[in-house]
Amino acid sequence: MEQAGKKKHPISKVILFIVLLVIAVIQIFPLIWLLDFSLASSNEMFTSGLLIIPEKIQWGNYAKAFVDGNFLLYLKNSLLINFLAVAFVIVISIMAAFACKRMQWKLSGLVQTLLLMGMMIPIHATLLPNYKIYSALHLTDTIWALLIPYVAFSLPQGMFLMGSFLESVPKELEEAAVIDGCGIYRIIFIIVTPLLKASITTVSIMTFLNNWNEFMMASTYLSTPKWKTLPFSVLEFTGEYSSNYAVQFAVMALTAAPAVIVYIILNKHITKGVAMGAVKG
Amino acid sequence: MRKMYSNKLVIFSLVLPGLLVFLFAILAPICLSVYYGFTDYSGMGKATWIGFENYKTLAHDTKFFTSLKNSFLLAVGFICIQHPIAIIVAAILDKLQGKAEGFFRCVYFIPNVISVAIIAYLWKFIYNPDFGLLNNVLKAFGYQGQINWLSADNAIWAVLIVLIWHGFGWGMLIYYTGIKNIDPVLYEAAAIDGSDSKTTFLRITLPLMKPVIQVNVTMAIISALKQMETVYLLTNGGPGDRTQFAANYLYQQAFKAFKYGYGNAIGVVFIIICLVVTVLLNNVIFRQEEV
Repeated sequence: MEQAGKKKHPISKVILFIVLLVIAVIQIFPLIWLLDFSLASSNEMFTSGLLIIPEKIQWGNYAKAFVDGNFLLYLKNSLLINFLAVAFVIVISIMAAFACKRMQWKLSGLVQTLLLMGMMIPIHATLLPNYKIYSALHLTDTIWALLIPYVAFSLPQGMFLMGSFLESVPKELEEAAVIDGCGIYRIIFIIVTPLLKASITTVSIMTFLNNWNEFMMASTYLSTPKWKTLPFSVLEFTGEYSSNYAVQFAVMALTAAPAVIVYIILNKHITKGVAMGAVKG
Repeated sequence: MRKMYSNKLVIFSLVLPGLLVFLFAILAPICLSVYYGFTDYSGMGKATWIGFENYKTLAHDTKFFTSLKNSFLLAVGFICIQHPIAIIVAAILDKLQGKAEGFFRCVYFIPNVISVAIIAYLWKFIYNPDFGLLNNVLKAFGYQGQINWLSADNAIWAVLIVLIWHGFGWGMLIYYTGIKNIDPVLYEAAAIDGSDSKTTFLRITLPLMKPVIQVNVTMAIISALKQMETVYLLTNGGPGDRTQFAANYLYQQAFKAFKYGYGNAIGVVFIIICLVVTVLLNNVIFRQEEV
C-alpha cells in the first residue's frame, strides 16, 4: 500500500484529496448554513449570498426555541425512553440469544427465526393496527406506547448480534461454572454477560441511533406533551412560528445539538460500533 | 450440564419476554391489519366485512404503483449514485493516514445522527425558492433563474437528493470497514507487481468487497422500500402523489382519507412485498452468485 502511494504523482494525490473535501463540504455545509441562519434575524435571510454575517447575533432565537420548544421536557423524555429501550433490548436479547444458541431444545431454531422475523417487517405497516391496540388498552400518551414498539423493532437486531457473538464465547467457562454449582441465570448474567461487552456496546449504539430520532410512531401514539420526544420540538415549532424563519432555524440547530455533540465526543466508539453491527448484520 | 441446559422451564422463562414483545408489538398488529384489510372500516363506527374488495381496488390503484415506482427509483439512486461514491471515498480514505482520516469519517457521518425531522425541515429551507441555499449556490455559479425544487416535475428528484445525502455516511462507513478488513499483504503484492492504484482498486479492492457490497445493496433496496419519514415531512407524497411512498400512502389513506380498512389492506400487501424482496435478495439472487 505504501509503495503504491509513493509511486503516484503528487497531483493525483491532490485530486483525491479534493474529492474528499468536496464531498465533506456537501455533507456538512447545509448544517453550517443552518447554524449561521439560526443566529441571524429573519429579515436578513433574503440575501443572495451563501452565508450571512448577522449584524447582531440573535441569541434570542435560541432562548425562544429553548422555552417554547419544550426543549428540556422533550430532551428528558428522549433520554429516559431511549435508556430504558436500550436496557430492555439488551437484557431480553441476551436471554433469548442464550436460550436459542446454548440451551438444548427442539424449538430453538423456530423461535429464533420467529424473533428475527421482526427485522423484515416494515415498522410503518404496524402504525395503523398498533394505534388501535394502544387506544383500546389506554396505552396512548403513556411511555409504553413508545417503549414497546422501540424495544420490539430493535430486538431482532440485538438478538442477532448477541447470538453471533455468543457463538465465539468458549463453552468451557460455563462448564466450569456448572460444576461449581452455578445456576443458569447466574451463568448468563454474571459469567456470560461481561464477555459480551463488545456486542452490548454495539447493540446499545444501534438501538440508540434507531430510536433517538424516531418520530413517526411518537406522533401517531402521542397527543399530549407528556412523553413527546425531542423531534417534536421541531415538529410543533414550525406550525407555531411559521413566519419566523430564524427561530425555526434555531430550534432545529438546538434539537440536533445533543446527538451531534455526543457523536463528536464518542465518534470513535460509535463508528466502531456501527461498523461492527452493520457488517455482522 | 446437559440436564440443566435442557430445563424446559428455564428455557421458557428466558425466551418469554422476547416472545411477548414479538407477539404484542409485531404479530398482533399484523393479524389485526389482516382483519381490517377485509373491512370497510373508516376509523370510527362499525366495520363491515367486504371480503377482497380492498385488494381489488388496490390492484388498480395507480397511486400505489407510483409509490412502488418511487421506491424503485430511490433504490436505483442509492445503488447508482450513493454507493459508487461511497466506495470510492472509502477507498481514498483508507489510503489516508492520521488525523485527516478520522476527521473526514466523522464529518461524513454527522448527518446520520441528526433526526429525520430536522433533516426534512432543513431541506425544505434549502429548497426554498426565496432564501433557499440551493438556488443561492446556483446563483453563485452564475445561474440566474429560480428553480422551484419541490414542483411536480422536480419533487421526486428533490426527495431522492435528500435521502442520498442523508444516508451517505452510513453506506460509506460500511464500505470503509469492509476495505479495512482486506489483508494489506494483497496490496503489497500488487504494488510489487507494478500495479497502479486504479488497477489495484478494480482488481483487488472491488472483487474482495463483493460480500460487503451485496449486504449494503440489499439494505439499500429494503430501506428504499420502507422509506416514509423524510417524505412524510418534506412533501407528504405531493404534489399530486408524485413523491408517494407505500408507507406514507397507507398512513394517509387511514388517517387523512378515513379509509382505515383500505390503509390496512395496503399495509398487508406492503409487508408481503417487503418479506418477499428480503427473502429473494438474501437467498436467491445473491446466494446463486456466490456458488
